[in-house]
Amino acid sequence: MDKPTPDNRGEFFYQFLDDYYAECDEHLVSIRRSLVTLEDDVNTRAIDRTLLDNLFRSFHTLKGISGMVGLAAAEQLAHHLESYLRELREGTVVLSQSGFEALVAGVSLLEATINARRHDQPIPSIDEMVDRLQAISADSVTSEAPASSFTEKPESDATATRWQVEFTPTAELAERGVNVNSIRARLQELGQVVQAKPVVKGAGEIAFEFIVVADVDQTALASLEADGLTFQPAAVEPAPRTREVQATPMIAPASSVRVDLDRLDELMRIVGELVISRTRLEDQVTELKRVTPPAAWRSLQETNATMGRQLRDLRESVMRVRMVQIGEIFERMTFVVRDLARENGKKIIVQLSGGETEIDKFLVERMTDPLMHLVRNAVSHGLETVAAREAQGKRSEGVLSLSAMTVGERIVIKIADDGRGIDRNLVLARAKAAGINHENADIDDNALLNLICTPGLSTRAEADRESGRGVGMDVVKKATEELGGRISLVTRIGEGTTFTIELPLTLAIAEALIVSVNGQRFAVPQSGVSEVLEVESASTKMLENNEIISYRGKVLPLIRLARVFEMNHQRGEKFHVLVVGEETNAVGLAVDRILGQREIVVRAIKDPLAQSRGIAGATELGDQRVVLILDITALRQLAVTSRH
Amino acid sequence: MEPFILFELADTTYGVRSRFVQQIEMIDDVASVPNAHPAVEGVVLVRGQVIPALNLRTRFGFERIGRDLRSRLVVINNGTRVVGLVVDTAREFLKISTDAITPPPEALTGLSGHYLEGVATIGERMILILNLDAVLDLDYEIEPEISKV
Amino acid sequence: MNNILVVDDSPTMRRMVITSLGSLRRVKSTQAGSGLEAIERLAIEPVDLMVLDLNMPDMHGMEVINFVRKHQAYRDIPIVVLTTKSEESSRTEALAAGANRYLTKTFDPRQLADVVGSLLQTS
Repeated sequence: MDKPTPDNRGEFFYQFLDDYYAECDEHLVSIRRSLVTLEDDVNTRAIDRTLLDNLFRSFHTLKGISGMVGLAAAEQLAHHLESYLRELREGTVVLSQSGFEALVAGVSLLEATINARRHDQPIPSIDEMVDRLQAISADSVTSEAPASSFTEKPESDATATRWQVEFTPTAELAERGVNVNSIRARLQELGQVVQAKPVVKGAGEIAFEFIVVADVDQTALASLEADGLTFQPAAVEPAPRTREVQATPMIAPASSVRVDLDRLDELMRIVGELVISRTRLEDQVTELKRVTPPAAWRSLQETNATMGRQLRDLRESVMRVRMVQIGEIFERMTFVVRDLARENGKKIIVQLSGGETEIDKFLVERMTDPLMHLVRNAVSHGLETVAAREAQGKRSEGVLSLSAMTVGERIVIKIADDGRGIDRNLVLARAKAAGINHENADIDDNALLNLICTPGLSTRAEADRESGRGVGMDVVKKATEELGGRISLVTRIGEGTTFTIELPLTLAIAEALIVSVNGQRFAVPQSGVSEVLEVESASTKMLENNEIISYRGKVLPLIRLARVFEMNHQRGEKFHVLVVGEETNAVGLAVDRILGQREIVVRAIKDPLAQSRGIAGATELGDQRVVLILDITALRQLAVTSRH
Repeated sequence: MEPFILFELADTTYGVRSRFVQQIEMIDDVASVPNAHPAVEGVVLVRGQVIPALNLRTRFGFERIGRDLRSRLVVINNGTRVVGLVVDTAREFLKISTDAITPPPEALTGLSGHYLEGVATIGERMILILNLDAVLDLDYEIEPEISKV
Repeated sequence: MNNILVVDDSPTMRRMVITSLGSLRRVKSTQAGSGLEAIERLAIEPVDLMVLDLNMPDMHGMEVINFVRKHQAYRDIPIVVLTTKSEESSRTEALAAGANRYLTKTFDPRQLADVVGSLLQTS
């Protein structure tokens, strides 16, 4: 390879663009997070020092790497943002409202600039922004602003003890994953790391000294000894206050690797194939039992079982690599909401919960735009202005709540507002105007949702900026369903609207029960099933048009899959029931027989021709024959409607 | 000159542009999908993907016949959708020039005519060129009498 | 085989430096994302040269230079400081503290390779 010359230097740095974009993304996430916290400190002097340090550092790095890849606009923007942060850190300026807004605008433009290069689009002009940033640095300079007016993170409560922990690194320890970063992380879990510095010991070897303030005693730290750490109570040093050691480093340390999502997909696919092969092996091993000496067969079976366990571990590890916290999207949304709220003259409080819920990276990428659309809708159309709210006797701030949680093998995301709710009549009117006539004016929430998600229907004039984005409700629904998920709606006039989106947790490999209905095999995800019963046909009763059986002293309504699937079915003397749902919601799915339990690789059914309510996907059990996977939640809904 | 894949259905020859044909398979196991359109036999597994198997006889309103060794699944991939078509037999590959393709005759147009892109006359032979988008769009009804030539 | 320790908190930057040094023969590289990590590397494996960023979290590059030069075992390791232009004023400081060369980003890959190559030869 030729040595890079100044002429082809551009080509040299071209190979780093992917790394550059990835690193920019990480920094932007962290910057956004910091800005959200920073907003509360506008016009005060007591800004968390570490917050400013983090922002400064991010802009500094972005400046450096943008310069390296030749994106001058980004470099310049980052430079000015860094300068402003430097002044804030040094205390020569106080963060004003206009300063904060300039920061926010500057970051948005920076992101837009980087994305423009990423997508080969013209780079936006930065001149105005640069002027604006220079202006805020220049003014609001106060003469009496000593650096010490910034508070540092106060040390924790009086019951905490200062510990001095010493760690001596060695090659063997490093190989085990015990290094200065991992030790610091462990100490941070225990308490607050106030200092970390290298020291030279007597014989010339290097060690690291940490001062940790933690509300723990001797025993908690004893576990550290196994990795060669020593500790003792630290002498209390009132001064000097050394630089605060920030919690987790924002950028992954040198020990992490960036992985292409395509490669992870391939890895998952291979793991999926392995699962199927092993299931085949399992069947073959079982067949061999007849013709193999017992001792030899047991040994074979044991190896097979071990492989099964190892495969499960592998599968889980691979899935974990792909997982990211949904909180990342939530934070972006918070940012957007604040922007929008300010623009529309509304006051909005964002409540987040479940941000640490993990979700497959692929799902995040596909769902970010649709979720943003829902959030924008809530802010623009759902939540009312302060005046309107007060007139209704509501609190002046609207509440937008974003939540996520895992339920079995799915993640459930809710976007809820306490705004004006969706007006059915308005929607029906627009539908009619678009040529869709709905006879029943009293449509339920789900029918309403379907109507809203009809392409071409909009509850506002197209001039609305938000709807011009190319993401409409129909796209939200489609994106969700393509991923094997489901969207539902609950809305009440004057009270608010909640959108619930359910998605499968990962490209799924799941445990399933294989059942037979009318001679056809189906797979039922095990996570939804709490119990399996064998029932005599004669013991079922009818209760108000529902078939029920007695179960644990209570009544369990049955859903006959054969009927739901409109099969011509003769029931035998006995049949099996899969109990799904909890307590009062419990329902029994009636099948003919339970054939067994398997690990299955879930494949989505993408084409609408083959999609059917009650079917969540398909799988193959190692014999090349397709088996449909049941969607328990949908079946329950289906059964409810078919009863009426 | 464009390459076409030809297949037979109820003694009529149909053609599809070969660039839309991903593969041609013998039909193994089709898992029936409950409550699906009657023309959808079910789903099959092709190259790790679960795709619908659309029975063209049913789609075109012909009577359905049992599957035999000659039945084939023509897997269509138009870039966005992958769908398998169940046909009586499929084994021909033919290059047809655009000149040879004429718009479908009046008798075939009207409500149902648009599922045909055109008719190719090669000597004595008539080949009906399918408009896949219309065939795959089940909201689009195809009348039986009209599709029989 | 010479072992070059590349210290910078930006992974992209580290990759760029390592790739620039790819043209040098009998050279391998190892990375550190912070001053503490860099010193840990020194403790664990033999290092023949350091390419060091100055502005890093937790431990400034200058502190790293100071620490390293005070230590008998590492006193003579060549150090190439690679830092952004705004810190030019610290050039004298860095050289006085014991850095051998001072380069600014945006760096010329060929120049970096030459500087490192010549330092390795003379040490």
